[in-house]
Amino acid sequence: MNWFDKLLDWFSGFTDQWEKHGVKFTLYTTIAILIGGLFELVPPFFLTKTAEPIQNVKPYNALELAGRDVYQKEGCNNCHTQMIRPFKWEVDRFDPQHSYGKDGYSKAGEYVYDHPFLWGSKRTGPDLAHESQIQPSAEWHKTHLINPRDTAKGSIMPAYPWLFEESSIIDASKIADHMRGLQKVGVPYTEEDISSASTLLAGKTAGDALIAYLLKLGRDTAELSKSLQ
Amino acid sequence: MSSSEQKYNDTIVKGFLISGLVWGVASMLVGVWIAFQMVYPELNFGPYFTFGRLRPLHTNAAIFGFALSIIFATAYHTVQRLCRVRIWSDKLSNLHLFLYNLTIIAAAITLPLGLNQSKEYAELEWPLDLMIVIWFVIFLINYFATIFTREEKQLYAAIWFYIASWVTIPILFIVNNLSIPVSWIKSYSVYSGVYDANIQWWYGHNAVAFVLTTPFLGLMYYYLPKHIKQPIYSHRLSIIHFWSLIFLYIWAGPHHLLYSPLPDWLQTTGMVFSIMLWMPSWGGMLNGFLTLTQAKEKIKTDATLKMLLVGLTFYGMSTFEGPLLSIRAVSGLGHNTDWIIGHVHGGTLGWVGMMSFAVIYYLVPRMWNTNLFSERLANTHFWIATLGILLYIVSMWVSGISEGSMWRAIDETGALKFPNWVQITETLKPYRLFRGIGGGLYLIGLIIMIYNVVRTIMNSGSGFKEIDLRIGSKEEKVV
Repeated sequence: MNWFDKLLDWFSGFTDQWEKHGVKFTLYTTIAILIGGLFELVPPFFLTKTAEPIQNVKPYNALELAGRDVYQKEGCNNCHTQMIRPFKWEVDRFDPQHSYGKDGYSKAGEYVYDHPFLWGSKRTGPDLAHESQIQPSAEWHKTHLINPRDTAKGSIMPAYPWLFEESSIIDASKIADHMRGLQKVGVPYTEEDISSASTLLAGKTAGDALIAYLLKLGRDTAELSKSLQ
Repeated sequence: MSSSEQKYNDTIVKGFLISGLVWGVASMLVGVWIAFQMVYPELNFGPYFTFGRLRPLHTNAAIFGFALSIIFATAYHTVQRLCRVRIWSDKLSNLHLFLYNLTIIAAAITLPLGLNQSKEYAELEWPLDLMIVIWFVIFLINYFATIFTREEKQLYAAIWFYIASWVTIPILFIVNNLSIPVSWIKSYSVYSGVYDANIQWWYGHNAVAFVLTTPFLGLMYYYLPKHIKQPIYSHRLSIIHFWSLIFLYIWAGPHHLLYSPLPDWLQTTGMVFSIMLWMPSWGGMLNGFLTLTQAKEKIKTDATLKMLLVGLTFYGMSTFEGPLLSIRAVSGLGHNTDWIIGHVHGGTLGWVGMMSFAVIYYLVPRMWNTNLFSERLANTHFWIATLGILLYIVSMWVSGISEGSMWRAIDETGALKFPNWVQITETLKPYRLFRGIGGGLYLIGLIIMIYNVVRTIMNSGSGFKEIDLRIGSKEEKVV
């Protein structure tokens, strides 16, 4: 291990020098921590294959976006994932109708309009990436959200009855602002999309919007896949 | 007032110690509550106290309330001693303490209201993010000005780890939190989909690295040798493990995204660097252990030393488990399950928590110039906390591995063995109940410590008498 000792001597020879110079030390530390970050964060933006857009995937309409806001507000992403890994057992579980052909796992192109991404890191409840294909009934979702135990006995999901109350009716002008904000970060909303907010959201509660969002998840890619089949 | 008050500013250390205790109790209380919500859904009191809204409150209060308070307390304490000068500005440090606590209070209000950015450990909305930047800059000016006016030329190892944290935290925080505000209470990340995921986990994993690891290694390098009055085992080992740790850690983020649509080269890079991280992490652990063996005879009698020992053990354990979980095949089973929750809590309850408690037991008598009210209560705290951690981790291991196995179980016909999700949930219930009990024990330990600390502070000024832990020194009778 003589060579290792020599390596240590050589390395500590110059790091010892930095330890007496605060500025130098801080500068070299910053360089050390920047290298890895730059290497991993910058290239993906320039590699075209990082997120190949899928032609059918459309931005969320005003109602679906309002639902996505509710999903974020309630922190649904703390218990539900939205990302299906390429395993047979995950694909079988989350694509029971085989709506996506043999490729029932998640692709980068499905998330191009997601600001932020909502993949989640813990799957306490089932994955929702293809929810529109697994449970297409809006009525079922409403019963489930009001009291999860009514549709799934033994579920540990919190009940969300207030989402359907009068007080939860969504302010359409706010959602229009949200769409303008998203426009600035690259979501291709047209003026028509934004002006449709007031009609789409008229009288809708947070719960209605959330269901619309859940029924949007996986729908565009499933439709594309069906048209190809 | 302690005798060192003329030379050093200890008021700020006391302030952060107290906010650490307050946010520690708050975060762990919420933690125990949400643990039981996972078994008894009736404990979700809507709309403000459901799991989805309380979970970010728990993590934010634990990481940025409890851990960061302890980090700032020790940073202010050590930088003054290691540089042999008073903190550069008393006013700035007070302002830092005030604005910091104001932010955490605001976080404790806004998160239950559902105002969040949905990015793990970066949930706070943009006005609070700006506030954080303001007090962090105030702190940085004060800290670096102290270093530049120092009377001790050599920067000791503890300071390196603090400096690495101070330069990295702002970079991570700002890059990940870039968002476009659409109102005072709502913003959207400027990044989308896969890019957002990549940046989020670069941040998320390095919050573990530069908030929950490097500052605690820094405090280990100061308080462990100080407490046992023996030098650190190897200076050269600290050089090697410091530079390799800070260089390698930054790369590890993508191991959170294995099997996701993130480009393969990134996933593999993340995995490879995560496995390499095992070496510098164990370098730090071994340096701590080998230092500690110089006082091994006193482990039986000294609660602080026991906590340092268990803290280091859990550091070694979770930094072994981390690289293990970052291997693709293991991640395939463990990802998204309770195993990860167990792994994280091995690090937080075991390493961060135990090191923090050790530091509190070390600092409180010195800062308030009195002796600890009861060594016996400290000892009780140690045992009850250790038992709590073990119960927590073991139940989460069993739960997580059961969960992952049941998800992937396939019968002879190739169909899913457990297609019904609730069936899996029901199987995990007992383990999740034990997790809640383990967390409860840990919280009881903390409350015992707070009682001990309060009684100690009530005796403040009665004169502090140090116990010499060196081998061969006269045994002190422990009350």
